[in-house]
Amino acid sequence: MNIRLLLFFYLFLAQSLAFGQTLISGKVLDEKNQALPGVNVFIKGSFDGASTNAQGEFQFETSEEGIQLLVFSMMGFKSLEQVVTLESSTLEIQPIVLAEEFNELNTVTISAGAMEASDEKKSVILRPLDIVTTPSAMGDIMGAFQTLPGTSTVGNDGRLFVRGGDASEVGIYIDGLRVGNAYGTTAGNVPTRTRFNPNLFKGTFFSTGGYSAEYGQALSSALALNTKDLSRRSQGDLSIMSIGGGYSHTLANENQSLTASANYFNLAPYQQLIKQEIDFDLAPYGWDLELAAQKKTGKNGLLKVMARTESGGMNLWSPLPGTDRRVMVSLINDYSYAQANWRTTLNKGWSIFTGASISKNLDKLGFDSLQIERRNDLAHFKASAIKDFSDRFSAKFGVEHFLHPYSEKLVKQGWVRDFKDQETYLFTEWDYYFTKAFVLRGGLRAGTSSVAEEQWVDPRISLAYQLPKQGQISLAAGRFHQLPMDNFRVLNTNLQNSESKHLLLNYLLSKEGITFRAEAFYKSYDNLVTFEGSLENPVSLKNQGEGFAKGLDFFFRDRQTFKNTDYWVTYSFVDSKRQFNQYQTQVQPSFAPKHNLSVVVKHFIVPLKSQLGASFAFNDGYTYTDPNLDNSEMSSKTKSFQNLSLSWSYLPKPNLIIHLACTNVLGRDNVFGYSFSPKANTEGIFESIPQGQVAPRFLFLGIFLTLSKDKNANQLNNL
Amino acid sequence: MKKYLFTLLAAFSLVFGAFANDPAYENAMKKQLTAMKTIQTAEQSQTVSNAFLRISEAKPEEWLPLYYAAYLHTMTAFRFVVNKDQYFDQAMELIKKADQISPNNSEIVALQGFVIMGKLSVDPMNRGQEMSPQAMQLFGKAIALDKENPRATTLMAQMQLGMAQFFGQGPEKACGLARVGLELYAKEESKVNEEYLLPTWGKEQAQGVANSCQ
Repeated sequence: MNIRLLLFFYLFLAQSLAFGQTLISGKVLDEKNQALPGVNVFIKGSFDGASTNAQGEFQFETSEEGIQLLVFSMMGFKSLEQVVTLESSTLEIQPIVLAEEFNELNTVTISAGAMEASDEKKSVILRPLDIVTTPSAMGDIMGAFQTLPGTSTVGNDGRLFVRGGDASEVGIYIDGLRVGNAYGTTAGNVPTRTRFNPNLFKGTFFSTGGYSAEYGQALSSALALNTKDLSRRSQGDLSIMSIGGGYSHTLANENQSLTASANYFNLAPYQQLIKQEIDFDLAPYGWDLELAAQKKTGKNGLLKVMARTESGGMNLWSPLPGTDRRVMVSLINDYSYAQANWRTTLNKGWSIFTGASISKNLDKLGFDSLQIERRNDLAHFKASAIKDFSDRFSAKFGVEHFLHPYSEKLVKQGWVRDFKDQETYLFTEWDYYFTKAFVLRGGLRAGTSSVAEEQWVDPRISLAYQLPKQGQISLAAGRFHQLPMDNFRVLNTNLQNSESKHLLLNYLLSKEGITFRAEAFYKSYDNLVTFEGSLENPVSLKNQGEGFAKGLDFFFRDRQTFKNTDYWVTYSFVDSKRQFNQYQTQVQPSFAPKHNLSVVVKHFIVPLKSQLGASFAFNDGYTYTDPNLDNSEMSSKTKSFQNLSLSWSYLPKPNLIIHLACTNVLGRDNVFGYSFSPKANTEGIFESIPQGQVAPRFLFLGIFLTLSKDKNANQLNNL
Repeated sequence: MKKYLFTLLAAFSLVFGAFANDPAYENAMKKQLTAMKTIQTAEQSQTVSNAFLRISEAKPEEWLPLYYAAYLHTMTAFRFVVNKDQYFDQAMELIKKADQISPNNSEIVALQGFVIMGKLSVDPMNRGQEMSPQAMQLFGKAIALDKENPRATTLMAQMQLGMAQFFGQGPEKACGLARVGLELYAKEESKVNEEYLLPTWGKEQAQGVANSCQ
């Protein structure tokens, strides 16, 4: 029976009885039986009430009569209502226990494998701003992540390599939707960059293993980038750089915003001034156009749309080892990406997300007289829903579908080979908080591929436990599947998924301004692709490789000890061996150096209105095969890699920033490997050419200006 | 028919609501507004803020009790040693409830900006990017909703002073705005009497900004 109805009848019947004032008193405790001060205690529907004192006690007089509701309420705690009968002059309430609500701030977060860059969350390792202010990153998202634990820098590649995995093992998502060809296509030993500007994103979630069931098709790592919500004001942003320039314009009101931008870069003028090690026939160039819009829908909904198109290329001369000859390598890349997504919260603890994205990539490659056209498209459709059953129990459900056509064409011969894959996934993930200090997450992801004619299910589990005194430990384990790279699948469409199992143990301590993180991991690899012949011309491809990676990494960040100074130090140890590609035995891959160290320091000098930055990266060298030795398979190692980068950002006015940066200031001649001639020369020696840097140093000068009617618009955003 | 009845009922309650003074409500409010002036500790602030929340429980159609509870949470975070983020977040929760009762209210919007400003001050290096335009926008909106609201103008002046100091520019613009704020306070004071329940705080802040030019 409705309590109000009950009350009504009672009051109606008891009306004739007359009462005086009642003195109500009692005590409120928390779950640990400690006194709880500041609790609001009152008679519902009246002004009568009081707060509990330091001893948790309360006492107040009321003139209300009969059956009433006594409410105990305090923000952050679950309110309690108790029925009381006011019929005598005093009323002593038995001690009341209030339970704290579970929320993001007072509960433990799963930290195994996870590194967040956000302004909001508490378990933050990197802030969005750090991506643009890390000197060695040169404004590239991946450059900043290469200073984090579990990654290794491969200087002639530029992509993200995680814990003994190759770069294709990192799945990249924007607003939960997969991005195909997220890196710019490149040729020779010219390192690539992410296509997307870091200013697009409000936060990132980078996992180095054991990640959520929401993500798949990535053996090593998931990188989720979240775009900004509504822009706050209309403004124009102009950038003039040593390598090009761009303009972006934003129109905004309270319910919607739109940003359009255009950029152009060309390294030719720069390369005429500063000598390059690589002989470019046509310096790297490119342009892009981008449109991003956000719109509020209803009370809680947000619709986001983004579209981008770009084109670029380069021509360079590649020397052939053991000869005086060199061949022309040419590249033109056309790329478009578009996506739309909508999220909203509904009643009864439901929130939903739907989205679709499409990536279209076309590479026109030339190697001497050989002309190749490579098309790689990806369409992704996704819907997911979260249900909060209570503040300690929630579940997520999702369905995804991918369309993925791929083709390679020899232009002159007119030969084409291709495949069209369709993949469907179902996933679910359940979070349960046993206590505020202990959370368990279980997930399941099932997939199917039409080309591989394969179905698979991946279980994932993780937990976190807050230690009684300081810090927390977190554990994650799971199975991960990934289909082989497209250039292998097109040769053998029967290739099945490769498989990896992860086990991670993490310790995280974060106090005011200081973060310490240590993580140990073990990964197994199965069904890796192996072949005979060379990487350029593989034959008889099979899922027969296997391997492992194990290691330990440490991260320490301190924004506290030194005034206006922020620094972080990362050390990662990786021991990885795998049989893959052309290797007959389990070898240490060239992209998995054992010892990796990175130090980043930033210091703000207030009187100079300047931020100075320095970053240093080190690893103990890359393995390679020297055919001049016996048992040579990946048994040789280059000298150590070292890179010291410096940057200076100067803010003379709120709307102007001048940024100067230089990589490899010391000019170390880093070598990433060697290419050997396929045949021995007359003396029986295989001659080689080192694979080095594009240039000893890269110098960058940029001027960024914000134009707005609002005089307070400033460049703090971009610092 | 049912809908018709509702409309009629709603209309009646509006009419009566506008005219009907509730002396119990007004007395309760006045009592807490007086108590508010003597707050010296976070505990005292909590006691008064709880009293406002009780009034709000009993009179869920009034925005002022929620407004004052939110204001007290905000001031506690600024004045006393507490978990600032937690207090600002709780203030924001209360403001959102007040905003639902009285949408597009210049006072509520200005207070919202004040809370954002507080959150910004906890970690300016990292929050400046997102929050400084957000606070500016809210103060701008509060001024647009009511040009006579001295708190909106004063808070805007305070924000501009902070920006000018960061970039080593002169405080003249901020001072000018603060002086406008002081004039608005003078106007407001002429209206204030024993029965006045609306917000009146912030004059010292305006004076503080105006003083920075001397």
